[in-house]
Amino acid sequence: MLGNPATKLNGFRARISDMTKGLIIGGEFGNILVRQKTAQALELGELMIADTTNGQMLLQVFDLLYGSQLTQQHLELISGLKLEEDEKLELMDAKLRTYVLARLKNLAFISQNAAASAKTLPTFFTKVREIVAADVSFITTPLHPLFLGRLRSGSKVLEVPVSIDGRKALSHHILIAGTTGRGKSVLMTNLLWDLLNKDFAAMLVLDPHDEYYERLQKHPDAREQAVYYTPHNPPPGGRTLKIHIGQLTPRHFDGAVSWSDAQKQALHAYYNSYKDSWIEAVIREHNLKQQFHEGTLAVVKRTLMQLLGLDVEEENVLCRGIFDINAGQTTIPDIVNSLEQGKTVIIDTSSFHGNVEVLVGSMIAHMVLERHKTYSLQEMRSKPVVSIVLEEAPRVLGKDVLERGPNVFSTIAREGRKFNVGLLAITQLPSLIPREVLANINTKIILGIELKPERQAIIESAAQDLSSDERMIASLDKGEAIVTSNFLSFAMPIKIMHEEHKAAVKPRQSFDGLRMDVTE
Amino acid sequence: MKFAHLSDCHIGGWREPKLRDANTKSFRMAIEKCLNEKVDFILISGDLFNTAVPGIDSLRMAVEQLKKVKDTGIPVYYIAGSHDFSPSGKTMLDVLEHAGLAVNVARGEETYDNKIKLHFTVDKKTGAKITGMLGKKGSLETSYYYQLAKEHLESEPGFKIFMFHSALAELKPKELEEMDAMALSLMPAGFDYYAGGHVHVVDKQTIGRYKNIVYPGPIFPNNFSEVEKLKHGSFVIVDNGNVQHIPLPVHPAVCISIDAEQKTPTEVESLVKQQLLKNDLTNAIVAIRVHGCLRQGRPADVRWNDLFHDAYAKKAYFVMKNSNAFTSKEMEVIMVKEANVEEVEISLLQQHAGQFKLSANDVELAKRLMQSLSAEKADGERNVDFESRLHSELDNLLG
Repeated sequence: MLGNPATKLNGFRARISDMTKGLIIGGEFGNILVRQKTAQALELGELMIADTTNGQMLLQVFDLLYGSQLTQQHLELISGLKLEEDEKLELMDAKLRTYVLARLKNLAFISQNAAASAKTLPTFFTKVREIVAADVSFITTPLHPLFLGRLRSGSKVLEVPVSIDGRKALSHHILIAGTTGRGKSVLMTNLLWDLLNKDFAAMLVLDPHDEYYERLQKHPDAREQAVYYTPHNPPPGGRTLKIHIGQLTPRHFDGAVSWSDAQKQALHAYYNSYKDSWIEAVIREHNLKQQFHEGTLAVVKRTLMQLLGLDVEEENVLCRGIFDINAGQTTIPDIVNSLEQGKTVIIDTSSFHGNVEVLVGSMIAHMVLERHKTYSLQEMRSKPVVSIVLEEAPRVLGKDVLERGPNVFSTIAREGRKFNVGLLAITQLPSLIPREVLANINTKIILGIELKPERQAIIESAAQDLSSDERMIASLDKGEAIVTSNFLSFAMPIKIMHEEHKAAVKPRQSFDGLRMDVTE
Repeated sequence: MKFAHLSDCHIGGWREPKLRDANTKSFRMAIEKCLNEKVDFILISGDLFNTAVPGIDSLRMAVEQLKKVKDTGIPVYYIAGSHDFSPSGKTMLDVLEHAGLAVNVARGEETYDNKIKLHFTVDKKTGAKITGMLGKKGSLETSYYYQLAKEHLESEPGFKIFMFHSALAELKPKELEEMDAMALSLMPAGFDYYAGGHVHVVDKQTIGRYKNIVYPGPIFPNNFSEVEKLKHGSFVIVDNGNVQHIPLPVHPAVCISIDAEQKTPTEVESLVKQQLLKNDLTNAIVAIRVHGCLRQGRPADVRWNDLFHDAYAKKAYFVMKNSNAFTSKEMEVIMVKEANVEEVEISLLQQHAGQFKLSANDVELAKRLMQSLSAEKADGERNVDFESRLHSELDNLLG
């Protein structure tokens, strides 16, 4: 039999009365002053609850300071006496004499299991208490959950999983910002692991450190859902990255090479005349109807050969890199098809020069975007959202890069959401990304950032007001993060755990059709 | 060392008797060339037959040819392919092997840790060490490759050949983009020759530690598009490491492509006629493709019978048309009626697969079921034998 709800609530209130950590004693909206109860240590970033008659006010500590009933002169006198005379000397009741004050900001107002923006202040002398998981029962798992971590209150971790709507968040771009060693890779691995067997999203990872495939291999669905390309000696199941040069078009080079106008014209002239074999035509110096300066054509030829790793030896085109004149005719469509099936495609770009990586990414991104542009709204809903993971994102989204002209990634940042194509940009230097691009990224996962300008860039473009969080961001330890997103009710502090990724036990394989010999 | 490499013979594959005969002639021609060239052995990389239990005529012809090869002292090594594989082992290939006409090299043992350890079959005359992996429907053999113990295969000394019946992601041709393919890295590295099948292309590539990955192409084109693209069948002879593709031009192919965009049926007819007149059709397989949307009239208004009559009058061996992409603004339904039956079936299956979200394998299975069920009783075959053949074929397909 269910108990009386009123009795249950009273019981709950009685239980939490001893969780009181302080009392509201003043301040203003967004900067509420709380006196800390002695022996209750408040932490930066800690989540607090102020119970009001209509619901609960969710607050967060953003600053800590000392308070005292004594004047500065008295404090100095007492400290002198304690230091020089008797350490046991006390003046007034120690608990009342000095204390800690905390500044709290309003995060949300919780009423009837829903959170809304806070618009009122709790009354004077309202007790504030420690948060418990039951307070945030409004944090539920969305329809297309992308698990980010567990809710964190200061350094304490609550058993409250924080998931975001993956379809929305990924198509509206995600930024992961943090200094090296703060947990960007762990977070990215967790995200990829979580998304591997989910059919609402597909991930394309350009992996300059070649770290993710190995980590994902233990996933029970890795064989079916993870596709790995590497230029040399792939592990069993991995594919040798070969791209047929006939798949290149001049616009793939946007962002990878800075061509002059004349060079661009020459590229297009070759492409228009020779279509799929235009690169070979450039290299073999085939004729063009249009006249170009000899030097222009020589530079175009040299640049292409160098970038694509091609050589000519006795009339034969030799392929030294990933670009090939025979193999890899379907590599880019294969990758895009895998993405359309919701798979995760990881490309080991560790041995690439930066511009080759951009070129490969650009070829794939162009095809994904083009294909998505042809889909009807209904088709789009049935297809997974494609997210392109860009490590060290300023290499393609940096101000200096975009000043030379837009590339496919800046196009996706601007209009990809319409076509269910998003970016997942990872960087330790968000300030290098232009403000308008940052503003287009609706979800930001902020890990510890030491440099002030980097913190500022993030704070200024966050979905929620983080203006008072600078100190908190600076103090984030490894694995601690703040998630700000249009798809979350408030900027959520989370803890990213090193999830235990155990290898799956595979069922025994039978070998129908193979002739089994008697053991030799 | 001199050996031949055949694949995708698909004996009994075409529904049209004339094309089935041409396929047979092509196979005979390949065997004849192998004998003339005095090869040391012959490799068949899957799909010798079009089904696991082929018709009597197909079987008789294959046995006859393989017997001729055996009598000359040339061994034949084979693997089962996606068409003639059978999970139950009830495949005619098995019968051929038991009759001593060919040796299945896809053999090995299962290790305690659920790996498959393939064994080498050593060719007595040349000492070549041959092994391989069968092909299965819907590329299901890929899971076998994941369980393949490769170390002993890679460290084995001597001249080694690996036979496979799979599409390789890195080497897939552009037009077969939709085909399932596996990573090259699943195969053992360091062999001297990779005898491929399944993908109907003529190709020879080397990628990293995998040298001489060869697809010889089918013995005879398998469908309309392959007639257009390949014109004829082919196989490979490897003579002391030198890989040579041998064409099998049993009939010349005359491929006519007409753009019907903004034309009338009469104009289309006259364009086809011009092409028929211009080309020498003697003994040729004539493939007429019409595409585009008519300005007026319907595709059904094109008098195909007359055109076919003209072609046969010029001694064409067989005439076929493809009007899949031939439409009119008013009557698109007619287009479906006019298209080649097999293509309509495939297109309908694909449309329904989209609606019901079936997997690609189900579409393939449905295609194969329809093909099996449309088989006719062979000459001299008893009703009861025909029935049991059909039953066994369906059992195989439905696994």
